[in-house]
Amino acid sequence: MKQNRKREPLRLGTVARSLIGCMCVATFGLLYVYGKNRINRLGDEVGKREATLAAVEKRNTMLAAQLAQLKSPAVLEQRCQQYNLGLVAPKDTQVVRVYEPGSEWDAQIVKSTDPVQATATKMKAPTAARAKKSQPKEMVRR
Amino acid sequence: MTERRQNARVLIVVGIVGLAFLGLAFRLFELHVLEHKNLLAQALANSEQVVHRQGRRGEILDANGNLLANSLSVRLLFADPSITCSQAVAMAHALAPLLQTDEAALTAKLAGPGHYVRLKQKLNDDTVQQVRALKFKGIGFEDQFVRSYPNGELASHVLGFVDAQHKGVQGVEASMETFLQGQAGYEVIERDRRGKEIRASRIEDLAPRDGFTVVLTIDQVIQHIAEVELEKAMVTYRPQAAVIIVSRPKTGEILAMGCRPTFDANKAGDASADARRNRCISDVAEPGSTFKIVTISYALCEGLVRLEDRFNCENGVWLYGGRLLHDAHPYGVLSVEEILFHSSNIGAAKIAVERMGPARVYDAMRKFGFGCKTGIALLGEVSGIVHPLSKWNKLSISRIPMGHEVSVTPIQMLMAMNAVANGGRLMKPMIVKSVLDENGTPVMRYTPQLMGQPITPQATALMTTALRNVPSPIGTAPRAAVPHYDVAGKTGTAQKLEGGQYVEKYYSSFVGYLPANDPEISIYVSLDDPAGGAYYGGSVAGPVFRAVAEKVTQYLGIPPQQKPDSDKKEKVA
Repeated sequence: MKQNRKREPLRLGTVARSLIGCMCVATFGLLYVYGKNRINRLGDEVGKREATLAAVEKRNTMLAAQLAQLKSPAVLEQRCQQYNLGLVAPKDTQVVRVYEPGSEWDAQIVKSTDPVQATATKMKAPTAARAKKSQPKEMVRR
Repeated sequence: MTERRQNARVLIVVGIVGLAFLGLAFRLFELHVLEHKNLLAQALANSEQVVHRQGRRGEILDANGNLLANSLSVRLLFADPSITCSQAVAMAHALAPLLQTDEAALTAKLAGPGHYVRLKQKLNDDTVQQVRALKFKGIGFEDQFVRSYPNGELASHVLGFVDAQHKGVQGVEASMETFLQGQAGYEVIERDRRGKEIRASRIEDLAPRDGFTVVLTIDQVIQHIAEVELEKAMVTYRPQAAVIIVSRPKTGEILAMGCRPTFDANKAGDASADARRNRCISDVAEPGSTFKIVTISYALCEGLVRLEDRFNCENGVWLYGGRLLHDAHPYGVLSVEEILFHSSNIGAAKIAVERMGPARVYDAMRKFGFGCKTGIALLGEVSGIVHPLSKWNKLSISRIPMGHEVSVTPIQMLMAMNAVANGGRLMKPMIVKSVLDENGTPVMRYTPQLMGQPITPQATALMTTALRNVPSPIGTAPRAAVPHYDVAGKTGTAQKLEGGQYVEKYYSSFVGYLPANDPEISIYVSLDDPAGGAYYGGSVAGPVFRAVAEKVTQYLGIPPQQKPDSDKKEKVA
């Protein structure tokens, strides 16, 4: 039997091809595993970020409610009294209204005494812009 | 021999291995082909899971963007008693102080039957962490939303509340349910051996959509002013109930709407149905003299009377239709203007009887919107009671002009007064300003809606002239006058009907607007059965009107006007 076996020399090309093939398969396998791993890791990262976002949003709504509560007029009034700040809204007599020079405001003052005329005037030209323009500026006397 | 033996052994081994492989191949064939469908479903059921996610309910803001209602995400603690029953006592002992519940009740729950029992709802994050640290088996947490109203009682009748399923039951919560409710989403996820989600293998992901934000016309500060004055009125006059509505006559925007008794929307379940009822839209009552504005303004509009026309007010007692009609004070001959600011019942009745007739009185009521809903975006509004002409008796023509035999809601009365203030234009009351999406972009904007024009601007101007005298020393409500402001208004005092009989109980009301020439705000105040002797609208509701008006004008920066007192005195004389 032994005599029948022939010793053939190793062919470099064949070995090289085999090695390259093996390396390709190995590389592909490694890349696949690496890719899968990375996808999973990124997935976990996304999951964590989503959880953080949800927690932050949750906290945000909690804080918004808390802020609204602290800003509510009732609480502010209570705080004013508590700290004895003496804050009060200015009285009419403490407010000086400076009217813009011009006839529009004067005309409005005159018209306002007669409701029939005032209504008739309004029917003719009820422009909001004009009314806005003639609003007096407010200044609080200190 | 030996070779045969060897061959036999080889054959046996090959046969055994072959059979094993054959069995394996058959099993594989069975699993992958014959049982494929069932096993696949089982495998998916083990690893895949559909998770439903509820969208957050939208917020409710006031006109200036202040938060009035939002939904908070909290946790619910549940247990599986089949697991916890063995150590129920120890668990209850540890959990009770954290959950602030009764230990015995907790033990009973943990040792009870079934696989699911809720231990505590609305847990905050700190408590959740503390419970988790105990590392008990058989307990878990679920997410749940809870509706929060940071201002408590403020505007609770307007906001309403939600039920256990987070659905609106009353107020804006119910009427704007379509916009406020979020859209549910779902995720199909894959879990690993430990039950943790493999985020990268998420199969389907439809994110939930949060509900839209609803912006109201209510101004938080004005609402607060109104509610503080309501509280004061409840203490001072001790009525059974009280109502204040503040609005802009030109647009119909409601700036404040409050009632007493009231409730905290955060604990709506604890409040009685009586306290939860929004009396501004759901309670009807005879309006009393405030209703005179309807008939008299219509008569002025139709040219049936002039302000200078004079009527004999019979010194306070008039026999009509076999029944006596009284005035609060005896008056002789009064002009139409005087009838209004002295609030003469006989004068108003005579205008209707002698100049208008039933058809016109009925027409006036309908044109001012009485007998039908105003259409405000709140559930539970009622139409009021306006009897058809066919059901009128012979006294109706003399009683309706002074606000009897007709029932109206506070919001209807205010809208009618707004029409007088607004050149005769009857506006639809607005409570919702806009609807915003999550980026703050308007999805829907509500604009003022004109419902009709019951009277002409000329008639309203004449009415304003007359109504400016009501909150003055010569009118019925001197205590409703607001210093430095020109106010027009009307008082109302109506006897209450109980069991079909008028009793010695009264509805006192005042409705007015200012500045009279160019109204910026209108206010309705009503007190149901004030105690302590005073019950006239001018002396009970008038001061409340003044208190609210003073603060609201200051807040809104409405420039004061000096009353043309000299002009007024001349006219009266």
